[in-house]
Amino acid sequence: MTVHTASPQVKRAPQGRDASAPHPAVLLLRTLWARPAARKLLVLAVAAAVLGPVAAATHGSGTWPSAFTVDLTKPLTGASDWIIDNRDSHWAFLYFFGHISGAIIGAVHAVYTVLLALGWAGVTAAAALIAWRVAGVRVAVTALASFAACGLLGMWVPTMRTLALMIVAVAVSVAVGALLGLAAGLSDRTFRALRPVLDTMQALPAFAYLLPVVLVFGIGVAPAVLATVVYAAPPMARLTALGLRATDKGVMEAVDSLGATGRQRLLTARLPLARRELLLGVNQTIMMALSMAVIASVIGADGLGDRVYQALSTVDVGSALAAGIPIVLLAIVFDRITAGSSTPRPARKLWATVPQGGTARTRTAATWAVAVLAVLGLARLSSQSWPDTWTVAIAGPVNTAKDWIVDHLYTGLPGIGGTADLAAHYTTWILNPLRDGLQALPWWGALLIVAALAWLIGTWRTALTAVLSLAAIGVLGRWELSMDTLSQVIAAVAVTLALGFAIAVPAARSPRVERLLRPVLDVFQTMPQFVYLIPVVALFGIGRAPAAAAAVVYALPAVVRIASEGLRRVNPGAMESARSLGATSGQQLRQVQFPLARPQLLLAVNQAVVLVLSVVIIGGLVGGGALGYEVVFGLAQGDLATGLTAGVAIACLGLMLDRVTQPTKGARDGA
Amino acid sequence: MNGNSAGTGDTTEPMTEQAQPAEADAATAPAVFSVRNLWKVFGPKADRVPGSELAALSPEELREQAGCTVAVRDVSFDVRQGEVFVVMGLSGSGKSTLVRCLTRLIEPTSGTIAIDGEDVCGMDKGALRDLRRHRAAMVFQHFGLLPHRSVLDNVAYGLEIQGVGKAERRAKAAEMVEKVGLAGLEDRRPGQLSGGQQQRVGLARALAADPEVLLFDEPFSALDPLIRRDMQEEVVRLHRDEGRTMVFITHDLSEALRLGDRIALMRGGRVVQCGTPEEIVGSPADDYVRDFVRDVPREQVLTVRRAMRPAAADESETGETLAPTTTVAEAIETVARTGTPARIVEGGRCVGVVDHRSLLDVVAGLDAGTAPDAGERTAA
Amino acid sequence: MAAAAALCTLAAAATTACGAADMTKQASPYAAAAGTKTVTLSVQSWVGARANTAVAKYLLEHELGYRVDTVQVDEVPAWDALSQGRVDAIMEDWGHPEQEKRYVEDKKTIAPGGDLGVTGHIGWWVPKYFADAHPDVLDWRNLNKYASQLRGPESGGKGQLLDGSPSYVTNDKALVSNLGLDYKVVFAGSEAAQITQIQQSAKDKKPFLTYWYEPQWLFNEVPMVEVKLPPYTQECADKGAKDPSTVNCAYPTTPLKKYLNADFTRKGGKAARFLKNFHWSKADQNAVAQMIAEDKLSADEAAKRWVKENPEVWKKWLQ
Repeated sequence: MTVHTASPQVKRAPQGRDASAPHPAVLLLRTLWARPAARKLLVLAVAAAVLGPVAAATHGSGTWPSAFTVDLTKPLTGASDWIIDNRDSHWAFLYFFGHISGAIIGAVHAVYTVLLALGWAGVTAAAALIAWRVAGVRVAVTALASFAACGLLGMWVPTMRTLALMIVAVAVSVAVGALLGLAAGLSDRTFRALRPVLDTMQALPAFAYLLPVVLVFGIGVAPAVLATVVYAAPPMARLTALGLRATDKGVMEAVDSLGATGRQRLLTARLPLARRELLLGVNQTIMMALSMAVIASVIGADGLGDRVYQALSTVDVGSALAAGIPIVLLAIVFDRITAGSSTPRPARKLWATVPQGGTARTRTAATWAVAVLAVLGLARLSSQSWPDTWTVAIAGPVNTAKDWIVDHLYTGLPGIGGTADLAAHYTTWILNPLRDGLQALPWWGALLIVAALAWLIGTWRTALTAVLSLAAIGVLGRWELSMDTLSQVIAAVAVTLALGFAIAVPAARSPRVERLLRPVLDVFQTMPQFVYLIPVVALFGIGRAPAAAAAVVYALPAVVRIASEGLRRVNPGAMESARSLGATSGQQLRQVQFPLARPQLLLAVNQAVVLVLSVVIIGGLVGGGALGYEVVFGLAQGDLATGLTAGVAIACLGLMLDRVTQPTKGARDGA
Repeated sequence: MNGNSAGTGDTTEPMTEQAQPAEADAATAPAVFSVRNLWKVFGPKADRVPGSELAALSPEELREQAGCTVAVRDVSFDVRQGEVFVVMGLSGSGKSTLVRCLTRLIEPTSGTIAIDGEDVCGMDKGALRDLRRHRAAMVFQHFGLLPHRSVLDNVAYGLEIQGVGKAERRAKAAEMVEKVGLAGLEDRRPGQLSGGQQQRVGLARALAADPEVLLFDEPFSALDPLIRRDMQEEVVRLHRDEGRTMVFITHDLSEALRLGDRIALMRGGRVVQCGTPEEIVGSPADDYVRDFVRDVPREQVLTVRRAMRPAAADESETGETLAPTTTVAEAIETVARTGTPARIVEGGRCVGVVDHRSLLDVVAGLDAGTAPDAGERTAA
Repeated sequence: MAAAAALCTLAAAATTACGAADMTKQASPYAAAAGTKTVTLSVQSWVGARANTAVAKYLLEHELGYRVDTVQVDEVPAWDALSQGRVDAIMEDWGHPEQEKRYVEDKKTIAPGGDLGVTGHIGWWVPKYFADAHPDVLDWRNLNKYASQLRGPESGGKGQLLDGSPSYVTNDKALVSNLGLDYKVVFAGSEAAQITQIQQSAKDKKPFLTYWYEPQWLFNEVPMVEVKLPPYTQECADKGAKDPSTVNCAYPTTPLKKYLNADFTRKGGKAARFLKNFHWSKADQNAVAQMIAEDKLSADEAAKRWVKENPEVWKKWLQ
């Protein structure tokens, strides 16, 4: 491209070969300078030309020079030891953290007691009742069936524990998120300050959140709830702020013109207008809380996650599934209830106030009273826990099925070899060269590449953040490990995107494919990451290949969904005009759909990177090694210094990857 | 009338001396809104622009040099009690900004605004809120309805803001819904209504507070032509029934001519001409206005006052009589029917006559300077 | 951070009495929720430990009328949890001198619970079929000879030494470098992953070298033979305690121990006495472990079967 634009200049040069004519190379540079992308690259190239030799001369090797690293192990270990020694004596713990922990434990205990007191029938009936009132009959039936299934699978008590933890964590997350969102929604300054923080928090892998709370609170339910809140509150805050800021300017002006006070503005107009975003925020918070509540079993969250975790340690796919299914069912029920309440349906207008007049209201109140009485009645009649005799053990049959699959797929499939061969090839031919390449890359070269990518797609600010994040990894002394993790992420993202786009294109074209895919995607997106780890270990053995497989499976639904939605939403007018010009469907795809859906496709890439990273990290549990292993190691050995350093490195890596793949919306950034 | 013309130097209004007696009561009525030297400048350090040499720059130069945009430039006018005052201009002329400055939905940069002699710019928050709640209500182009409330609750919203009790405000709102012809739709959501119906809700909401002045910001621009016509008639009817003062913003000349007692024509933030529809159409202040009104059917707007010539001796006693406010179109019909010139009678005295030629001159736009071959041209 | 700050306000509001709140005394919110006597046991990730817990749980529930919760915690954090009373007992500990000093000697929040009766041993193992074919692999000096046969996709050009869960005690990296072996330590990440890997290799009769330990039920399924490392000496152990990267001898043989929360020892009544008395053999443990891990019985079911067949062992624990 650049050569092409420069060529006329070069051709003209011989004619005016006098002293004043600029050298062709200068002209070339000048032409390049006119293109913003090329300009950015030129700046970096100059930087590389200057810095490269210097860096190479002083710190020759490929990895981060040890002179630039800071060893945090000693101070962190010291801090960790100090906290353990003083947790029962220092005032900060007695009067501050102790109260937090106590309040959380008290709240979870109270909720759990209520759930137990309601009994299995009471809880199931209450869930169905709420679902019916909020989201309609279909969701109520789903709720009923889901809770019954939890009981049937013999998971009633763990389900209630997870539920109790979830209720407390979600309540706190929503409250905290809404308050932060309110502040950011009403004040520009708060919004500007908070937004990058929230965006970043949403891009970080869940594992990175565990260690700081463990450092302060140790292992148990309180730190698990806290980690969940910190993980789940940002989407609420973010959506609240965005919702409040996006309220129709015209409506707000009309409200002003009627002489509303600030409070009236907020309560009667702004909040109701942001209702969709608020409910979406609640929905996302619940989903994030659930996924974190499962992961937090690593730090003592108990409940369903703990059952999955225990099953993992015995390669018991059946038991993991028995605990995984209730998680998925809970997720579906929560999702349907909150999603159902955010979209007004014609059948039962949700926004409609109760019909006017006292009689109707008394009637509604009466209905509620009867319903509550019924729930309480069921609570008295039923036992606290699901009757043992009513359970179905699925672990055995599932494991038999799994064994059969492993026996027949692991090796020696005619033609393609087995999954084990596949994993070995993936590791040997893709991961190893990539890792070795990244690790052999000079550190300053890596920084420059990251800067170039981030700058091309975003602004100098995103580039700076990305470079600083990567540099921070080097300073922490986790360069090699991070390059290892990075190679796994890059390879898995490539696979995810190839598969994702291959599925998204037909899904975007045919409503039938889309209809078939949707429920599958819905379910897969809510599955806890842990559950994926087991079958992939069975199929691919241990190492980086199964971690990659789990990551691909986990990230695929989001990529398919975002990409197909982006492709589908391409302006029908543009598609129509392309068709009217006689474009083939391939041409339509390449020349119209892909270019127009570019923002969505970039978002899909960004999501793929974020999701893949989160699973690659957890892949440390199945031999993924690298940073994830360090975190697992840190948690397992109580060596919080190692774990925390790795956690920070993961956060930096996540931040870097997010910035490198996140196109900044130029207009909004400038404003 | 002269007193309330735009304060800019390039505006000349030769015809305003001949103020119409029909509008005399309006002209002498007290001013509701009185605007003097109003400026609104958007951009950094906006307040240094008015009155400085920066004000003389062209919009492009100003944006280049100071990063500012002038939306309203030194505007002065009065809105008199009971009149429909139309502000007309193309998009970007500053008319919407102007009307928002009246209740300080947009804070003016400089100048004064008075409502019933009371300084609006000096009002504190409470007084301003009071002004918005009780004295001036606004109807918006895009309705500005609350999508989560029923029609009735939307109409009652202004009263709710004022703290009126539920039963009372619902009763009042029901009355207003009835008045704008939406009876039976009280429980619908705005999203379930057509554009015209939504704007009726907006109108009812504004009326519910029983304000002294109604401000309309291009209320019918987003509507289909037929519905727009209905709504215009609704406004005419309301004005006839209640005589409420209205400030009406529009970019549609025919709407302005149909509704306005007086029209202020804006361009680039200035008022280039302010006067009755007849003045605007009959005596455009400059080429811009002339261009603007070129396609107006003049005979529908101009009156015989403009077409008449002094009566010859034999004409003052015979022929049909017409009032001075008769439009040229009506006069043409009379003259064509009788075949003789018609007399214009005011206060029992003949003030002039119109005949074929004088009427045609007005229609052809030749009334300013008569050309000998005017008749041929018109025929052609 | 802001979330934490807001939480604090919430917490402050929740606790009206603004006194001290010692988080180390706060029990699990699920404990005693139903008003019954509850014991919380720590379950470690390996199956042997799960067997202990399963049997203890079964007996506590069916013989003594307690309600038992099990929480999975890794070894070192389990000490912290035990100290805080979030769990009441650890049934199998492989020796953590640093934690023992801190909690048992200094803080006195944990009390020793006696021996489990099982002796644990960590080492390097190869499958029996491989050792039969190449008997000299059983001496560490010959390991380099077999490095090329023991290569894996994760080990690059070197031989692969398969390690398991990060939570386990291991000196393997130090051993490999100090003994000059041409091997790379590859961590499976969890015991589950390691077992799967071993089982798959065994199915294909492929050679492998793995970090492993006994007692372990897997030996019944995949017979393995230990590779002799330089003998364990006190001197080597002392050196290793100072700097773990200097270790160059085999792992010790450890009598496995039980630990109880100190408060629980005093107030735990029958349950505390029972857990102290809990003492069984390697064969007993392996029997239960294999039922859980290989026959895929639930822990409860496995414990039930063992309890039914071995009353003479557990009757003593109830006294």
